Amino acid sequence: MINRRQFLSHSCSLGVAASTVGTTLLSLGAARNAAAQSAGDYRALVCILLAGGNDSYNMLVPSDTSQYGAYAGIRADLALPQADLLPLSLSNTGARSFGLHPGMSALQQLVNTGDAAMVANVGTLLEAFDPVAVENGTARLPVGLFSHADQINQWQTAIADGRTSKGWGGRIGDLLQSSNLANGVSMNISLAGTNVFQSGDDVVGYAIESTGNGAANINGYGDAAGFGEYRTRVWDELLAVQQSQVFRREFRKRLRDAIDTEVVFSDAISQAPTLNTTFSPGPFSTALNQIARVISVRDLLGANRQTFFITVGGWDHHDEVLDNQAGMLPAIANGLAEFRNALVELGTFDDVTTFTISDFGRTLTSNGRGSDHGWGGHHIVMGGAVNGGQLYGDYPLLAPNAALDVGRGIYAPTTPTEAYFAELALWFGVSPGDLDVVLPNVRTFYTPESGTPPLGLLTG
Amino acid sequence: MSAMRHTLKRSLRQALTLCAVTILAACGGGGGSDAPPPTTTPPAPITQAELEAASRLAAQATFGMPFEALEPMARQGTEGWLVSQFNQPPTYHNPVILDIVQRREAGEFDAFEQDIEYLIFSRRLSWWHNTVTANDQLRQRVAFALSQIFVVSDNVDTLQVYPFALGTYYDLLLENAFGNFRDLLRDVALSPAMGLYLSHLNNNRSDPANNIFPDENFAREVMQLFSIGLFELEPDGTVITDVNGDPVPAYDNDDIREFAKVFTGLSYGGDNAFFGNEIVPRFDIPMVMFDANHEPGEKQLLNGAVVPTGLTGEQDIELAIDNLFNHPNVGPFIGRQLIQRLVTSNPSPQYVERVGNAFADNGLGVRGDMRAVIRAVLLDPEARDPNLAPNGGKLREPIVRYVSILRQFGATSDDGFIAALGYFIQELTRQHPLSAPSVFNFYLPDHSPAGEISDQGLVAPEFQITDANSVVNYPNLVDAVLFGDFVTDAPPGFDAVTLTLAPWEALANDPGALVDRLETLVTYGSMDAETRAIIEAAVAEIQDPATRTRAALYWVLTVPATAVRD
Repeated sequence: MINRRQFLSHSCSLGVAASTVGTTLLSLGAARNAAAQSAGDYRALVCILLAGGNDSYNMLVPSDTSQYGAYAGIRADLALPQADLLPLSLSNTGARSFGLHPGMSALQQLVNTGDAAMVANVGTLLEAFDPVAVENGTARLPVGLFSHADQINQWQTAIADGRTSKGWGGRIGDLLQSSNLANGVSMNISLAGTNVFQSGDDVVGYAIESTGNGAANINGYGDAAGFGEYRTRVWDELLAVQQSQVFRREFRKRLRDAIDTEVVFSDAISQAPTLNTTFSPGPFSTALNQIARVISVRDLLGANRQTFFITVGGWDHHDEVLDNQAGMLPAIANGLAEFRNALVELGTFDDVTTFTISDFGRTLTSNGRGSDHGWGGHHIVMGGAVNGGQLYGDYPLLAPNAALDVGRGIYAPTTPTEAYFAELALWFGVSPGDLDVVLPNVRTFYTPESGTPPLGLLTG
Repeated sequence: MSAMRHTLKRSLRQALTLCAVTILAACGGGGGSDAPPPTTTPPAPITQAELEAASRLAAQATFGMPFEALEPMARQGTEGWLVSQFNQPPTYHNPVILDIVQRREAGEFDAFEQDIEYLIFSRRLSWWHNTVTANDQLRQRVAFALSQIFVVSDNVDTLQVYPFALGTYYDLLLENAFGNFRDLLRDVALSPAMGLYLSHLNNNRSDPANNIFPDENFAREVMQLFSIGLFELEPDGTVITDVNGDPVPAYDNDDIREFAKVFTGLSYGGDNAFFGNEIVPRFDIPMVMFDANHEPGEKQLLNGAVVPTGLTGEQDIELAIDNLFNHPNVGPFIGRQLIQRLVTSNPSPQYVERVGNAFADNGLGVRGDMRAVIRAVLLDPEARDPNLAPNGGKLREPIVRYVSILRQFGATSDDGFIAALGYFIQELTRQHPLSAPSVFNFYLPDHSPAGEISDQGLVAPEFQITDANSVVNYPNLVDAVLFGDFVTDAPPGFDAVTLTLAPWEALANDPGALVDRLETLVTYGSMDAETRAIIEAAVAEIQDPATRTRAALYWVLTVPATAVRD
C-alpha cells in the first residue's frame, strides 16, 4: 500500500498529475493483486539484434581437423587459428566438434554448463533451399536478399516475401498483452527506441533508456503547483484536441502515451531492488542491467509477459573483421554471463529466454580485409528453459564448392528463421493455433499442431 | 533574318524553360539575367496569405527564416527567391574548421583541451555556425538532405578525429547541390570519407588463388542507396512487379560483384601516395587510382552495358558512374527522397514523376541538373498548395526544428560565433548531421509506423526516431532553450549563444497578436483553431511579459500542430 506520505513524495519527485492520481493508485493496487494471482507465471523474451550482419562463421567455428581445414582454406586471411578456438562440449554433434571465438570464454562457460545453446546457420527462406532452382532462376528468394535494410527487417517481421512495419514480437504482443495489467505499459519494452520487432497492430514497443530509471517525461509534468501545474494543465488540454491530420494524430498519441506511461513505469522501477550482480560499463551490459531491473519490478508493473529488445550495432565488417570482432564479441559474451547471474539472483533465469538475431551471416571468403553480405548465420540462445550444451540445426559441411554455397562462400540457411522463432514463440505462450498469426509463413517449414517443437531447444 | 529570328525564338524558349514553368515575372525577361524586373510602381502590400506562403517555403527550403525576412521573400515570389538563392555564393565548412584548428594550434583551447577534443569539435562547430548564419540557406538545406541520402557518419572514429574528412565531404555536397547529379555521384564515389566509410578505400583486386575477392560494400550501396534502389521503378516511382506480384530487382549479387571490381585500386592521394596507405590519410583531396591494384578485365554493368577490358581504373569508374547515372530509376528514386526531406513524406506518383522528368531533362536536354530538380521539388503544385496534398506534410526533423529556433529568434553571441556541438540534441532526439548510426540514415524512406499511418498505406520516416523518450525530450529541449540556462551546447572557449526575444516581448501585451505572429512564422497558419485558442488562453494567464513571451514560444514550438507540418 502507498500511504499518504509516500504519495506526497511521489507527487513531487515523479510527478503524478492530480487528475491521474486516482487511476495511478488504482493501477498500482491492481498490479499487486494481479501479481499475487499470477505468481509463477512470468515469461520474457530478450531479443538481441546484432545489427549489420555478424560474421558468425567466426563466432562458432568447426574445430575437428577435417572441417577446420576446410574452414581455414575458404576463409584464408580471415581464419581464426585452430589453437585459439574455445572448445565446446556439445552433446549432440557426433564426430564433429566446434569452438567459439577466442574472446567468448564467458559464452563457452554458459554453453558448457548447459545455460546456453547455439543454433546453426539460421536465415530467411521462402522455401527449402534448392540449389538447382536458385541456379535456373525458379527459386523463390527473400525480397532484398543480402541487403541490410530488407534482411534486418525480415528477421524482425518473419515475413521474407514482403516489406511490412509489423514484427513478430508485436504480433505476439497483440495476442498476449491482455495477460498483463491494463496500465498503459506495453508488454514490449525497447532499449533501442522504436523498432519493427515489437510493433504490432495495437501493441508497440515502449522505449526506455539504459541509464537512470529509463523513462522521461515533460519537465514539471504532474507538479501540483506553480509552473509545473500550469504546464500539466495546458498539456492535458492540448493533447485532448482531436487532430484531423493523420500524422498529427499519431504524434499526439505518442506524446500522450509517453507522458502517461512514464508515471506508472517510473513509480515501479524506482522501487527496483539493488542487484548484487555487477555489470560491465559498456552499452550492451548497461542495457541488460536495465532489463534486469525492469524484470525485478515485473509484479509492480503487473506484467506476466514481456519482450525486451536491444540493438548492438557495428557488425558490418567489410573491413577489419578480425580486429573488430575481437573487441565486440567479448562484450556480448560477458554481458550475457552478467545477465544470467542477475536473473539467477532474481530467481527468474528459468523464465527468461535470451536470443540473438542479425541481418545475415557473411561471405566465408575474404575481400582482403573483411567479409561481405551473406545469408545463413549462427545464433545464441540462453536461459534456464534452454536445453543447453547443444547445437541445434545443421552446421553446413564446409567445402570449396558446397551445394549450399551460392557464391563467395555464402551459405544458404539450413534452419529457416520460422523454425527458430516458432520455438521461441511457443515457449513464450503463443498457442499452436495462433502461430500462423505470429509467423505467417510458418507452415512452409513446420506444422504447429505436430506437438513437437521445431528445434527442441526449449522445455517447459 | 529568318535564321536570326529562329535563334531569338530558341533563346527565348530556352529562357522560358529555364524559368521552369511558373511565375514569369520573376524571370528576368528572357535576357538570361536572373535579376528581378525593375519596378516602377510602389509594391502592393503583402497579404497574410502571401506571408504564410513565404513562411511555408522557408520551412521547406531553409533552416528557418526570421519573421522580418518573410516579407522580402513574399515579394520575391517562390521563383524569384529560388533564383536569388541559386545565385548566393556557397558557404563552405572547411574554412571554419581550418580557423578552429589554427586557433587550437595557437594554444587557444589548451586550458580546456583533453587529447583531441577540439579537433573533433571543429567539424560540428562549423556545421552549427554555418547552418545558423549562412545566407545560402537553400544550398545548406539541400546539402543536409543529400547528407541523409549519401550517408557517412562520425561514428567511425577516423572520420571524427580528422575534421577535414567530414568537412570536405559536406563541402562536396554543398558544391554539387546546385550542380549535376553525375558529378555529385562521382565525387561521392571518389571521396576518401566515403571510401573509408564504405570500405572501397584500399579495396584490392581479387586474388582467386587465395580466395580473396573485391569488397562489395560500396558497390552494393552505390546502387541500393545512392542511385537506383533495389527494384525497377516506373517513372512515377512505383515499384515494377512481375507476374507473381513480386518486385523486380534492379540488380543481383552478380551485378554487385562486377561493380565491386570497378571500385578497386583506390587509395588516399597526395605526395608519396601508395596503395594500402592507412597511416597518412588525405581527406582533403579525392582518392586516386592505383592501376596495379585495380581489377583488370571486362566488367558487366547494368542493362547490358560492358566495361571493356584494357581501360584504366579511372576510365572504369567513369563508365560505371555513367551506367548508374543513366539508369531510368535515378530520377524517381532520388527525386522522391528529396521531396521527402524538403516537402512531404508521401508525394503523389504524379509529383514524383514530374520531379523525375526534371531530372531526366532540365528543358535543355541536360540530365541530372540539380537546379532543375530542386525547382521541380519546390515549385510543384503539391509543394506550394497544401490543399492539393491530402496526405500532405511530414513530421519535422528535430535538427531542422531546433536550428529553426536559433534562426527565427535571433541567436547571437558576443564573439559572433554560433557555437554548438550538438551532442545534447543528438542524445535527446537521435539526430545529428553526419552522425547517423549506419548508412541507412536516422530513418528509412519507407518507414511506415504500425497503426493508423501504416493502415493508410503511408510512410513517415521521421517517426522512426520518435519514441517514448525522444517525443518528450524535444519539448524539454525547447524548455531548456527558453527557461533554462541553455541555448546551445557551446564548448569552453566559445561565447554562449543567446536568443534575441526583445522584438517578441514588445508584442507581449497583446497575447492574440503575439500568438498570431508566432503562428505565421512557425506554422504559417496551419495550426488548428482549437490548439490556437488553448495556447492563446494559456499565454494570457501569464502576466510578466518576458515569461509570457517565452511561454508563447514554448507552446507554439512544441504542440503536435508544429511537430507535423502540412
